[in-house]
Amino acid sequence: MQEYKRIDISKDQIVPVAERMRKDGRYLVMIHAFINTEGQMDVSYEYAVDPVIEAYHVVGETVLPDIAPVYDLAAEWPERELNELFGIEFEGLDVSKRLFLPEDMLDPEGRGQIMVTPLKELVEKNIKKQGGEI
Amino acid sequence: MSYIVPIGPYHPALEEPIHANLVTDGEIIRDAEVFVGYNHRGIEKLATERNAIQTLVLVERVCGICSHSHALTYAMTVEAINGVTVPKRGEYIRVITSELERLHSHFLWLGIACHIIGHDSMFMHIWDEREVIMDLLEKLSGNRVNYAMVTIGGARRDIDDDLKREILKGLEALKKPLDRIVEIALTDKTIALRTKGIGVMPTADAIRMGAVGPHARASGVKIDVRKDSPYCSYEDFDFDIPVCDSGDVFARVVVRALECYESVKIIEQALNKLPDGPINNGNKIPKIQVGQATCRHEAPRGQLSHMVVGNGTLNNHRVSIHVPSYKNTPTVPFMLKGNAVADAGLIIASIDPCFSCLDR
Repeated sequence: MQEYKRIDISKDQIVPVAERMRKDGRYLVMIHAFINTEGQMDVSYEYAVDPVIEAYHVVGETVLPDIAPVYDLAAEWPERELNELFGIEFEGLDVSKRLFLPEDMLDPEGRGQIMVTPLKELVEKNIKKQGGEI
Repeated sequence: MSYIVPIGPYHPALEEPIHANLVTDGEIIRDAEVFVGYNHRGIEKLATERNAIQTLVLVERVCGICSHSHALTYAMTVEAINGVTVPKRGEYIRVITSELERLHSHFLWLGIACHIIGHDSMFMHIWDEREVIMDLLEKLSGNRVNYAMVTIGGARRDIDDDLKREILKGLEALKKPLDRIVEIALTDKTIALRTKGIGVMPTADAIRMGAVGPHARASGVKIDVRKDSPYCSYEDFDFDIPVCDSGDVFARVVVRALECYESVKIIEQALNKLPDGPINNGNKIPKIQVGQATCRHEAPRGQLSHMVVGNGTLNNHRVSIHVPSYKNTPTVPFMLKGNAVADAGLIIASIDPCFSCLDR
């Protein structure tokens, strides 16, 4: 069974951890996010410290530093995805283009709403935007 | 004069949609940009409204080629949260299915690569031999795609002695054609002319951009989850990780062709050493305990990871799926630069992209 090690860090430690991991030649598995049961944003930076996954969690923050200058495209796409799906803002990241969602999807008010809003509500918003009645 | 040449979202060389804008200078690509998201189906969102068994069915449909990989990785992740130990026989059956899936995926890609470069006789030959593998998968699971071989806590179908003999016989029948395919791939002039020195990805850039799987191994990066972080008893098997240094499309052909031998070796070992005992821990729908885990699996295209968050109920709180194409697709613009427009389709296809996986 693969081991998963959770380590809680503050927002200020994100870049130093990324730089240390990069220096050690560690692979960035993914940056994940979810809303925890207390309603806070939980973002985890997961690195392969083989055979273990070290997951550095930052809880309760929606504006985070950008680690794309450290991890290049391996971090840029996950950050753009989290911006689209959760509305997390990464300082300095170019989010002028959509990654997965359609360009016209409730922009700008729909950005970051897809994973936190019930599907029914999103559909209703979309119908209203197009001038239709529910 | 510079022109922008759009490729896709629908293109004859690609079975799935991707859009690339090529900034060209005559025949040469000077810059490129890729756009994805044409297959976004909201699977992660749907997974939050399903229990673990329903999610197995759902994630298996993320991709038609590596369906077992998704079900396996999701099951491993839920097992990690719940602390479930899988019986050894169940793990071996998972390995056998995974490696058969890798074989059929690599044969499929090798065939398509030959088709793209106009070597259609080779394409038909490879796909003809691929049918042997598809028949084995059908005998094993009852299905040609979406095998439904995994459940939380083990495997769903057992392998009896007759089936074991049939699979071993099928693999034996595959060896000679595989030798021939590898020989042609390594020596054929058409393949060499169209693939050598095309779409080069140097080792340092592959590491910098986080490439994975055969794509990274073809650029000299020796990464493979089966060795780096063993799971499903992969540590019980003796196999090698083929690596090439040239980083071009030819190297990707060679790596995938050689990996087929390793998969055959693993399946034979797994069948010959298949332990006795149960294949799973029963078919109860499990509650997903409070907690979070990420598990990785070496899918045919590279590292696949699933992250699951449980909240103590039957349903997932969050499922996050990240596939090898997610890591490899951003490297495509880099590889396209400096190559001819005519090679663009081949270079995009050389990472063995799966956009239904990528978009989810």
